[in-house]
Amino acid sequence: MRSTIARLLIKRIFSSIIILFLIITFLFFLVRISPGDPVQKFVNPTLSPKLAEQVRESLNLDKPIHMQYIGFLTSAISGDLGVSYNFRRDVSSVILEYLPFTLLFTSVSFIFQMIVSFWLSIKSVKKINGLFDRALSNITLLIYATPVFVTGVFLVFIFSELLNIFPSSGLSSYDSADFSFWARLTDYIYHLILPIITLSLIEIAIFYKYLRDNLEDVYNKLFVLNLRASGVSEKDILLKHVIPNAINPLITIAGIELGIMLGGTLIVEVVFGLPGMGRLIIEAIFTRDYPLVIGCSLVVSFLIIFSNFLADIIKAFLDKRLLTGSLN
Amino acid sequence: MKNRFKIWQFLLLIWIITLLIRFELLINTYDLIFSWLILLISDLDTALSQISFDLLDSMIAGILFIVIPLLSIIYRKKLGFLYGKVFPAAIFLILLITCFLFAPLISNKNPDFYKNIGITKLLPPLSSVQVLHFKNDQNFQPSESFEKFLFLKDKVVKKSFDESIQYLDSISTGGKIIYYQNGIGKEANRESLLLRVKDPFITKQMFILGSDQFGRDVLTRLIYGARISLMVGFGSVIISLIIGLTFGFLAGYGGGLPDAVFSRFTDMLLSFPIIFLVVLILALFGNSLLSVIVVLGFSSWMSLFKVVKTEVLSIKEKNYFVSSKLLGLSKKQLLFNEVLPVIIVPIIVNVIFQFGNVIIAESALSYLGLGLGNNYPSWGSMIQSGQEYLSLAWWMIFSPGITLIFTLLSANSFGISLSRKLNPRLQND
Repeated sequence: MRSTIARLLIKRIFSSIIILFLIITFLFFLVRISPGDPVQKFVNPTLSPKLAEQVRESLNLDKPIHMQYIGFLTSAISGDLGVSYNFRRDVSSVILEYLPFTLLFTSVSFIFQMIVSFWLSIKSVKKINGLFDRALSNITLLIYATPVFVTGVFLVFIFSELLNIFPSSGLSSYDSADFSFWARLTDYIYHLILPIITLSLIEIAIFYKYLRDNLEDVYNKLFVLNLRASGVSEKDILLKHVIPNAINPLITIAGIELGIMLGGTLIVEVVFGLPGMGRLIIEAIFTRDYPLVIGCSLVVSFLIIFSNFLADIIKAFLDKRLLTGSLN
Repeated sequence: MKNRFKIWQFLLLIWIITLLIRFELLINTYDLIFSWLILLISDLDTALSQISFDLLDSMIAGILFIVIPLLSIIYRKKLGFLYGKVFPAAIFLILLITCFLFAPLISNKNPDFYKNIGITKLLPPLSSVQVLHFKNDQNFQPSESFEKFLFLKDKVVKKSFDESIQYLDSISTGGKIIYYQNGIGKEANRESLLLRVKDPFITKQMFILGSDQFGRDVLTRLIYGARISLMVGFGSVIISLIIGLTFGFLAGYGGGLPDAVFSRFTDMLLSFPIIFLVVLILALFGNSLLSVIVVLGFSSWMSLFKVVKTEVLSIKEKNYFVSSKLLGLSKKQLLFNEVLPVIIVPIIVNVIFQFGNVIIAESALSYLGLGLGNNYPSWGSMIQSGQEYLSLAWWMIFSPGITLIFTLLSANSFGISLSRKLNPRLQND
């Protein structure tokens, strides 16, 4: 048992590393074949060509392409992602400044999504094809067809413009520096409610659909009938037998959706003007700050690979069959 | 009664309505095409030098307006869907495609047309503005064929400016004609005005869906925006179809190493949020219509690849496939004659859902400012500019937003109903 776990882990880590390696390679060649000379970003054309040569040397651009590639690879592995043109700082330190917000934001909305979609699907599966169930399936279809930024803009219009309940953008009020700790915390939460709802709605629709269908499938299985016949209470059937059986495919979906959610975060951060990775990457792209763009892309893809990895591991531990048998 | 309403009847209805409303424009368009053809024979260089995108657009729309109905009447036996019943998703998709093909015929303005911003900016829906018409060379009788062509071109092709009209708040016509714009009165010379008997010729122009911050008509921009969305949708779906089909077939048919290589590559792309990749590539290589289409096409073939691969893997073992392979069919023949007819249903359904995804991606890119720029109206960029005027003009976000949602909803429900209709297993149930 233990050896299978170890083998699984090693295999999974190995394939993750290969994918990460492929992504680094892909990014490297993408940037190299793109038009434009990176040296021009650093050097003013009126300065001497000698300086340009020096910069070219310091960026390793004078070497042949395979040497450049190896240099890029080693520095990427050692965490040195170069210097940002805009911030004039290490890319890694810039990313570390913006990453915590995105991680916090994504994980809070992930938990929110899980809770809401669980609650909704259990409620609607209680009476399949009931009014609640049918209404919800239509609403989720509508939400699924709405792009994230449209949801965001509509929510801002309704809640900030018409009802004036929530602020429309930013992370804190302009005078929040004078607030006490608790007042500042509530201020943050107050600003984050709309973004979290925006990011979560579409994911809730997806999770709800999967969870509801899974729950319905399990409810129709014979063992549930058997349990009912044996007089087990409905609550026990749901909590102890149905949910554990229905949850497994959801974890795979959740691992994939976490990746898609990071893409959604990009747009939500732009809609609401929040200081996170999404805004950073968009700003970096618009100002042609290539080291920062590549750094951000690497970090984001690492996060996604890691979340898929985590989902697979959790799934394997929940479903022991995957460990002993046919996991590949 | 409602059930008897067929798709061809709906199409005919649209055709007749367009014909009635735009009769004069259509006649002018055909006149223009005719005079251009004459010019082409008599003076080739001038005719070719006159070609612009807008001119071609109008002429093609005019030709298609006749050709498409004729073709569908001739080939009506083959076009079975024309006899299908009308359902909401189909209505919406037909309207969109009509906008896509006939935008210059349907809209009566250039999408970038603006004039007197002070009066026309941020008008709410259904508001109308008075228009004062000045004299232009309406009575000019062209003699030469080139002059006639220019005259007709002027009438047919919509320009983003118009010197012969003025939007105004109010007008006083006693003695001197003075029209007021933003509280400033200007005197108009009676000679220069288009007169109806003795009074100046004043019409009302309605902004059905309001106007934006530059006084441009939102409805016109919506109609033209449909073109971008559909164009990007069709283009990238075709690219992703070609890539997904080829790679999927090669991976499924080859097995072993090709399978491993293609699957790893797909995993890599899937583990990268597509929007990041698209944004990155567009930023590195610049954004134009073609690059947006290509990039979105290259980044959305993964699900199709998986569908094709699994299907080919199962077909590969079947007897008919093995025997046709032993008969010596080439890979291309195997793909098109043996595999494609079997897997066409999942492919079509996948492609329709892909279409919706690509439209979402395109509008998101335009929203982020990475789409086609401000050169051409797009729903995403309309929402972006609407967000700045959220407190003043709700219609600027609602009309494109709701159109976008309806488009995606109808694409989704069209995909679902098609997969139900084409799936033999579901039909038997």
